[in-house]
Amino acid sequence: MSNLNLSGKDILRFLLTHYEFVQMSFSSAKPDFIIDSDKFNNLIKEYNTGSEVKISISKITADLKFCRQLPTGEYKLNGNYTSFLEFIFDDFILDLPETLKNRYQAIFTHFTSLQTEANETKIILLVQEIIKVVEKFLNDVEGQTFRLLRDTESLKVNAENHSDFTIRIQKANYWIDEYIIPLNAILNKDHPNSVVNAIMQIQRYTSEKRILAETYELKREFEKLYGCAVNAKTELDQTLSKLTRELLPLLERIKSDSIILSGFYHFAENIDQPENYIIPLPDLLRRTRGNVISKTFSGEAEFFIDQFNYQTPEILYEEEVEEIEWLPDASYFKEQLLKEDIVDDFYLWCFEALKVHTNNITLSKFFTVSNLILEEDIIAEYYDETRYEILLSDAILKMPKVKVYEKLSERA
Amino acid sequence: MRNYPNEHREIVANLLDGRFIIYPNQMFGILQTQEEEYKEFFKESYGFELNIESEFAYLSSNEVAEKRTRDFTLFLAMLCRELDYSGKNFRDSIELGTFNMTEVEQLLKQSSKWEILEKTSVANFEAFIDTWHKKNLINKTGNQFKFTKAVKLFFEFAVNVANSKLKEQINNESVKQDGNL
Repeated sequence: MSNLNLSGKDILRFLLTHYEFVQMSFSSAKPDFIIDSDKFNNLIKEYNTGSEVKISISKITADLKFCRQLPTGEYKLNGNYTSFLEFIFDDFILDLPETLKNRYQAIFTHFTSLQTEANETKIILLVQEIIKVVEKFLNDVEGQTFRLLRDTESLKVNAENHSDFTIRIQKANYWIDEYIIPLNAILNKDHPNSVVNAIMQIQRYTSEKRILAETYELKREFEKLYGCAVNAKTELDQTLSKLTRELLPLLERIKSDSIILSGFYHFAENIDQPENYIIPLPDLLRRTRGNVISKTFSGEAEFFIDQFNYQTPEILYEEEVEEIEWLPDASYFKEQLLKEDIVDDFYLWCFEALKVHTNNITLSKFFTVSNLILEEDIIAEYYDETRYEILLSDAILKMPKVKVYEKLSERA
Repeated sequence: MRNYPNEHREIVANLLDGRFIIYPNQMFGILQTQEEEYKEFFKESYGFELNIESEFAYLSSNEVAEKRTRDFTLFLAMLCRELDYSGKNFRDSIELGTFNMTEVEQLLKQSSKWEILEKTSVANFEAFIDTWHKKNLINKTGNQFKFTKAVKLFFEFAVNVANSKLKEQINNESVKQDGNL
């Protein structure tokens, strides 16, 4: 006898006609599917104003058994509805892995009983029970993984401000620590108490029993359980690989990316107060080739180079003077003088003769040449007191105009 | 250091120019195998620190810091922010992607944070990219550019800033809690 006052079709019709209402109740009652009395009444009132077909609280509690009122006054949605709604809205509530673990403990218990049970009817019941629990467990795990994957994807997008980064980091940490790592432990075949391990044991046991069992009926049942175990193993392997190869790296990635963004955020926000970010920027170099930078090395190098600065010009100066200095040869100039028959202005001739050889006519050079006047074979005549200036590089001479010529006797 | 490798002059010249030497460049391999010698060489000769990370090497000094490093970090921070906003995976884009100079400049100019960048060397965008291209932090070809592996140094900086902030927050909270007690 059904405990429903209405037929299944009525229930489906209710869900179809009031789809929006069901969805709203489902969303506001999440995650424990309990909804505050006032809130629920408002929800109904609001819905009724916009809808042609009205809803009454008595109908949905008493007839449809969509929810029931708790002694505290709140409304609790019926579990049969919520699991179906989770499925149709594709919106699974995350169970803590602990909850999952308790659920699959039943598989262990039934399997232990199965191995020792002799009564055929009971064996068949146990096999059916194990299949049921395994199927339910697979459903749960699949829903959970899907939910985690979708929530993780949603974590990736649109962080409007800095607090979002912090939330992202916290969520990622929470999921990794509270869900993925424990789920991983439940599904890991190397762990003796993992569900995968139990399923592998079932698979091994039934693969033998489906051939060796005493009756055809038992063989058929074990065959079913064997199929169920093989299928469960494959599905759980897939889930595990999704968790460890996709979800975990994705979450780790989101976590580390959010950390980078959050660091950059702090840096940019405090750009004018660098003291607010304690971490110094990388000390990259400017182009420094050819520049001596180290203070000690710079000091030593300057000292070393200074020595050369001091000495070099001195040496060059002395060498320069020695090389360029030219001294007149008296005998050469006497020869030149004797080539002339008569020189009307001797001192001017001396000056001009020297100028042919050098611009730097010093007093000493001038005298070397002008001393020729004292030679015995040269006769000098001079007429008056008038003098003119001869400009030398280191003196100005006032000289008389002197006429010179060679002694005739010498020439003969 | 008695035996200098053939690339010695090139290595020294590049590093002193403030350039990053990046794996798989041969020079990077030499620096890695003679890490101790080269670290000592730069320390003793110039007073610089030679940093050899897993994929790149560079010189640093607390006496002559490149002032524009701040601008580059700011530029990278803003670019990452904009990429993240537009729903892209900023790290993949920065580490692997190629950027169009005009597009990036537009993207930054549209950002609400452009007013900060505007006052920095990033404002003259082409010259800015050229500067960092010379330092091997960016690889520019025509109107396109890519970040080199050295960009990870700046991600590391961001992680350190975030972690130090996080520590600060935790400390502040525990101080508050102590106060409440």
